[in-house]
Amino acid sequence: MSFNWLKTAFVGSVAAIALAGNAYADTVRVTVAEYSSKTGPYFEKVASEFEAANPGSDIQIEVVPWDVLQQKLTTDISGGANADLAIIGTRWLIDYVQQGVAAPLDEYMNDEFKGRFIETFLSPSVMDGKTYGLPIAASARAMYYNKELFEKAGITQPPANWDELKAAAQKIKALGGDVYGFGLQGKEIETDVYFYYAFWSQGGNLIDKDGTSGLDSEAAYKAAELYKSLIDEGLTEPGVTSLNREDVQNLFKQGRVGMMITAPFLAAQIKEEAPNLKYGVAAIPAGPNGDRGTYGVTDSIIMFENSQNKETAWKFLDYLFTTDKREEFTAGEGFLPVNKEEATRPVFAENADLKAFTDLLPNARFAPVIPGWEEIAAVTSNAIQKIYLGQGEIKPTLDAAAAEIDGIIAKNK
Amino acid sequence: MKPGRRMSPKARRTILCWLVLSPLVVAVLFPFAVMFITAIKPPTEVLRPTWWPSEVRLENFVTMWKATNFGTALMNSIYVAVLSTLISLIVSIPAAYAMSRLRFTGRGYFQQFLLVSQMLSPIVLVIGLFRLVVALKLLDNVNSVVAVYAAFNIAFSVWMLQSYFSTIPRDLEEAAWMEGASSWQALVRVFLPLALPAMVVTAIFSFINAWNEFVIALTMLRRQESYTLPIQVFSLVAGRYTVEWHHVMAAAFVATIPVAVVFAWLQRYLVRGLALGAVK
Amino acid sequence: MNRSFLTNPYVLVAPGFFLAAFIILWPLLQLGQISLSEVNRFGQLKGFAGLENYVAVFTDPQFLSALARTGIWTFGIVAGTIILSVPVALVLNEDFYGRGLARIIVMLPWAVSLTMTAIVWRWALNGESGMLNSALRGLGLIDQNVQWLAQAATAFPVQIVIGILVSIPFTVTIFLGGLSSIPDDLYEAAKLEGASNWQMFSRITLPLLGPFLNIAVVMNTINVFNSFPIIWATTQGGPANSTDILVTYLYKLGFNFGKLGEASALSLMMFALLLLFTIIYVRLAMRGERA
Repeated sequence: MSFNWLKTAFVGSVAAIALAGNAYADTVRVTVAEYSSKTGPYFEKVASEFEAANPGSDIQIEVVPWDVLQQKLTTDISGGANADLAIIGTRWLIDYVQQGVAAPLDEYMNDEFKGRFIETFLSPSVMDGKTYGLPIAASARAMYYNKELFEKAGITQPPANWDELKAAAQKIKALGGDVYGFGLQGKEIETDVYFYYAFWSQGGNLIDKDGTSGLDSEAAYKAAELYKSLIDEGLTEPGVTSLNREDVQNLFKQGRVGMMITAPFLAAQIKEEAPNLKYGVAAIPAGPNGDRGTYGVTDSIIMFENSQNKETAWKFLDYLFTTDKREEFTAGEGFLPVNKEEATRPVFAENADLKAFTDLLPNARFAPVIPGWEEIAAVTSNAIQKIYLGQGEIKPTLDAAAAEIDGIIAKNK
Repeated sequence: MKPGRRMSPKARRTILCWLVLSPLVVAVLFPFAVMFITAIKPPTEVLRPTWWPSEVRLENFVTMWKATNFGTALMNSIYVAVLSTLISLIVSIPAAYAMSRLRFTGRGYFQQFLLVSQMLSPIVLVIGLFRLVVALKLLDNVNSVVAVYAAFNIAFSVWMLQSYFSTIPRDLEEAAWMEGASSWQALVRVFLPLALPAMVVTAIFSFINAWNEFVIALTMLRRQESYTLPIQVFSLVAGRYTVEWHHVMAAAFVATIPVAVVFAWLQRYLVRGLALGAVK
Repeated sequence: MNRSFLTNPYVLVAPGFFLAAFIILWPLLQLGQISLSEVNRFGQLKGFAGLENYVAVFTDPQFLSALARTGIWTFGIVAGTIILSVPVALVLNEDFYGRGLARIIVMLPWAVSLTMTAIVWRWALNGESGMLNSALRGLGLIDQNVQWLAQAATAFPVQIVIGILVSIPFTVTIFLGGLSSIPDDLYEAAKLEGASNWQMFSRITLPLLGPFLNIAVVMNTINVFNSFPIIWATTQGGPANSTDILVTYLYKLGFNFGKLGEASALSLMMFALLLLFTIIYVRLAMRGERA
């Protein structure tokens, strides 16, 4: 009895070897990024439904934690052992396209299929007129605010611009206690993005028309000055460089932060973890000239060029992007609908929180499509962390970062 | 002072020893306390840094077990750790015996090779290792992890065993030869039983390494069914949009228990096997 | 002596040698090949690059600061571990009530995957929701939350302390083995001659512990130098790369930025560095022993 597991394990591993040796024709491996505890079960369920509808097909789901997705894909591809389909950050896609790793999907897509998508979310996956990925997850950012704190502080409207935001933060600070006005993220993924919200509203562009970094511009200096002044005046939480997005969200869920900018999924989390929190969602504050920008981000599911089972893989994609499957996924994870028909479903259409996000979509900016973007983002994050920490003067630090970014751009050309 | 009230020297020593150890004991137990207390908090209180939850939620362990697929991961971990330990012992014992008892050309080179092989961390090697596993068609097979762990443990195992073997007097085996035993019989009947403590310690070291290893398992194993514990727990934290900390901590806490039990059980061997073994 | 096939030294050594060589040397050769090649971000070789990758790493200012920090990191943890482990081992070698329990507690960090320990610490070190701040406040040691991970000035020392804590179990185990190998009669003889405790420690214990100390230094240095999870889980080398050591820099280079050629070159340079250190240390230690 006690050795049964050992036997099972042995039998299992022998079976695995046998399987790898003569994998039958219709095996499709799918690398899936794990967005939440629901992701794995969702894809397993869809896979078994698909297998039932398509006898002989075998969909193998490989769930990978998001933080190590890039590492895993890199090693997989380097060893020639990649799956047939994989979810990737759309901002990485250009590397996959340039190196001929991702297969164009146009030959499989008819007009009906193309017509399913909301244009804004499909277009980042289109390069040189060819579609290399389908947006499996999409989101944008908007500003959450704590209605209770606003009421206590006597603020009637969510701030429409950054001056109002600062004033609101001051009023919330004046309430005393351990509540903070503006939740500012200063660590890990999207630290740079948090800076862009202010940067874009000052009319800045990440990459100027001449193809160089826009960080050495008035807009960037002003945005950095704004955030730095918020930090110095105690209007943010303390120690911003030790809080990543989840940390700031946690403070918000505890009702300790007046305002923060983040994605739709925070609303879904609040529903489960802090159901009594009274909050609203509003547009990201505008700049002096009315400019504003939200960060639009999609993850794409791509098909690998070396896949041996493209037909079945495509069939599975087709199935994944039917409205019912999409609705289940998008609503479960708290993303934005990417299908037009999906968006009309009550879950989304009648959701007031979501409206704040979809209203911002015309202002959505996506990560620039240039190779080496991750490295550029890291340089930016480092520069603004230095500014937040007071370890660098604003102008020289940003100028140096811009020069470094220009170097990266030139090298990758 | 009445003699009865005087402390025995051992009692006094006990107080002193625990006093000296207390800062370390506190520092060591602190993360475990964090783990345990977070694990028994109701989910809504997890974010509040209170030490005493309003109620104790032992059922978190039950929900964790299901939500994290803990049973499968536990079995995988046990399988990987036990099997890799056995393999590295089986190949290391003869090598260590040869190194401590026999003179042969190339002995020095082998020793240097072992030391050098200790210096490569899996992170450094991970791409090459991955290509190897792919070439062997062992991807997503727990046995690939077993083989890699076994290989990485050989150096340390040989070194440990060898230094202990050198302390076992030759006379005993020689006496067995006199009585007509072959060198093989002497080895099995006389030598190996004496070497048991060292083998136990070596096994513990290998087991712990395999039990806790992270990078290789992360790279080689792809499906949840083949995940080991560290990967399973890590996947609860790494980049999800929300982290269920009470589950994470419960899982981490339960994952330490088997090793703690092994420690408690084999503790006396742990020191005895290391003793005598001149590390020269 | 009747040598059978089974006691032929080469036969005995072969299985271990081939298993280790196959699984460790093969990837090493691959690494060498990648480091000399032009390589895309997916590890596909695109031609010979000579030493370009090595030059690129050397001229990166990030490399030099990570190198210096790795020195502090490794020295800090190894020295701290050894200094703390000697007295702990001495105490655990005494005969007192609850010694078994004390030994288990000291060994306990070993029972947890380093990745897990690091994750738990990150959770505990959180400025606002972390239990370290709330514990210190409860004890009245601080009256404001400390943002431990917000800047290198507090983050890096804390990381080193965690590193020391997790290195102690292995080191103490080695020392305990060393202590119990010192024959008791040496101390008894010394006592008869009226030696003080300190004299016994410095004249008997320490010298006889020498080889164990050397082993602890070499093994810990190798482990700490290559240690990834503590820094990665707590700060990912940030803020602004101010807590990056070579391994975290390597990971970013290879997997975040997709510069696999440079990452391979760096891997081999790190390997060479460790090798160099070990050779020098072993030489010095041996000379010390002879003197």
